[in-house]
Amino acid sequence: MGLLSILRKLKSTPDQEVRILLLGLDNGGKTTLLKQLASEDISHITPTQGFNIKSVQSQGFKLNVWDIGGQRKIRPYWRNYFENTDVLIYVIDSADRKRFEETGQELAELLDEEKLSGVPVLIFANKQDLLTAAPASEIAEGLNLHTIRDRLWQIQSCSALTGEGIQDGMNWVCKSVNSKKK
Amino acid sequence: MKLKRFLLRYYPPGIILEYEKGGALRTKSIDLLDLSPDTDVEELISEIRRTEPLITASRIDQVKQLVRRLQEKLGQQENRRFYLFKALQAHILPLTNVAFNKSGSSFITGSYDRTCKIWDTVSGEELHTLEGHRNVVYAIAFNNPYGDKIATGSFDKTCKLWSAETGKCYHTFRGHTAEIVCLAFNPQSTMVATGSMDTTAKLWDIQTGEEIATLTGHSAEIISLSFNTVGDRLVTGSFDHTVSLWDVSSARRIHTLIGHRGEISSVQFNWDCSLIATGSMDKTCKVWDARSGKCVATLAGHEDEVLDVCFDLTGQLIATASADGTGRVYSAASGECTARLEGHEGEISKICFNPQGSRVLTASADKTARLWDVASGVCLQVLEGHTDEIFSSAFNYEGDTIITGSKDNTCRIWR
Repeated sequence: MGLLSILRKLKSTPDQEVRILLLGLDNGGKTTLLKQLASEDISHITPTQGFNIKSVQSQGFKLNVWDIGGQRKIRPYWRNYFENTDVLIYVIDSADRKRFEETGQELAELLDEEKLSGVPVLIFANKQDLLTAAPASEIAEGLNLHTIRDRLWQIQSCSALTGEGIQDGMNWVCKSVNSKKK
Repeated sequence: MKLKRFLLRYYPPGIILEYEKGGALRTKSIDLLDLSPDTDVEELISEIRRTEPLITASRIDQVKQLVRRLQEKLGQQENRRFYLFKALQAHILPLTNVAFNKSGSSFITGSYDRTCKIWDTVSGEELHTLEGHRNVVYAIAFNNPYGDKIATGSFDKTCKLWSAETGKCYHTFRGHTAEIVCLAFNPQSTMVATGSMDTTAKLWDIQTGEEIATLTGHSAEIISLSFNTVGDRLVTGSFDHTVSLWDVSSARRIHTLIGHRGEISSVQFNWDCSLIATGSMDKTCKVWDARSGKCVATLAGHEDEVLDVCFDLTGQLIATASADGTGRVYSAASGECTARLEGHEGEISKICFNPQGSRVLTASADKTARLWDVASGVCLQVLEGHTDEIFSSAFNYEGDTIITGSKDNTCRIWR
């Protein structure tokens, strides 16, 4: 990757390239999701202390996905990465009910960010492989997603571990980019 | 004109003359870039006398001694093995660039955590944290050889000037409309040049904090820039595939170097300001005549993008780093590839010579930095320990200490 490639992925991208920001609380499964997208091994994943970037091809697009660490002390730095974002993907651990309020607050703050205004948001209700996972509908209600009026949004249940639901989510991403970019 | 005293410069070899003219103290240097332990001293002295009127008959013995001292230094065989001296938990987010001051007593690290930190090389202690930027601190520099000031360029579109001693911010340079990704002090340390994703470069006055000029002409992001040794020229490399050569005092473009077929990754002058080396995503490095702006050599051979290029301090060699995972060393005069540096298991993002010009240091995505023998291309050492890719690396002036900065948030000192 190297610093130079980071600069290249930083600039406003041509029509066929899409810049996707992957955010969410720590332990939500962002890096697993990223690796699953890139068809990489997901057996040794540790908390992300910085960021990971991967490019994947999908439906004629090159998706440049930025996975940003979600631990509390590094959340204030999320805004380092807002510039030129085409789609925001927000990942939620559907089984961690104790932190629904916290994750809802973080999401609300993101949606208030000027640099992300109008950016389509996909919410992945992740970890649906766990028995205790809340269904997407319950999370949507808890987060008041239906009150979002200033952008396209979608909630998709998925399991980053098994891969289930991820493709459906990415299809929505490409569709919403299509309506914006082309 | 009256000669006051001599100063010795080891790298690149030279003798600095301090003299008086019209009541003011001035300096000039006699560069001895071709000097080797086998150079005939008598012959060299008579050549110096022919071109330098300040060297009179009474000074000859003194100059002879200085030349011998330089030859001695050049003849020293450095077979140091580096070991990990300290691993610094430097930042809470990935590092970007690292840089030493001239003496090597301290160094600086930039980071995604929006700070730049100043470190004591010997103790590994943090001396200051430079706080104030609102986004990634990407480009950093000491005003060497003085080393009393630091410039930081940030994704927040500003550049800041700091005191290296107190950590106090002198000025914030505002005006760029996109991320600042490269910067440099001029050799006189009177101005800073910044290059930005907004396609312009700017010159800033260190004293007043004001903008001196905006260099417009590139049609895409400026990614690399460098002053020549004299400080009257600036070269900029851009994602628009071109390289521009600027006259610093008038801020006018003198030449546009056209020929690369891909984005430019890196640009640099050689010591005597006669050549410019440029690296490109088109997998080549080109060498240009700095006076005419004509391409004098295309260094081909890499199988993927060239990500970094550099001259050795004498300007006789060029090293290139590539996404193909190899490095190469070329003769600047002939363009001939003299060594291939093969062994990394990932792209090489940074490459530099030690000040002596006998070793090359490479930083790679394979989490290692490697040390190579310039003459043979043999890998002498693999510096292992980082747990993520290495973004930057540097030698100190003595060539006996190395620092590496990584995506793993740490900085390592090797001695």
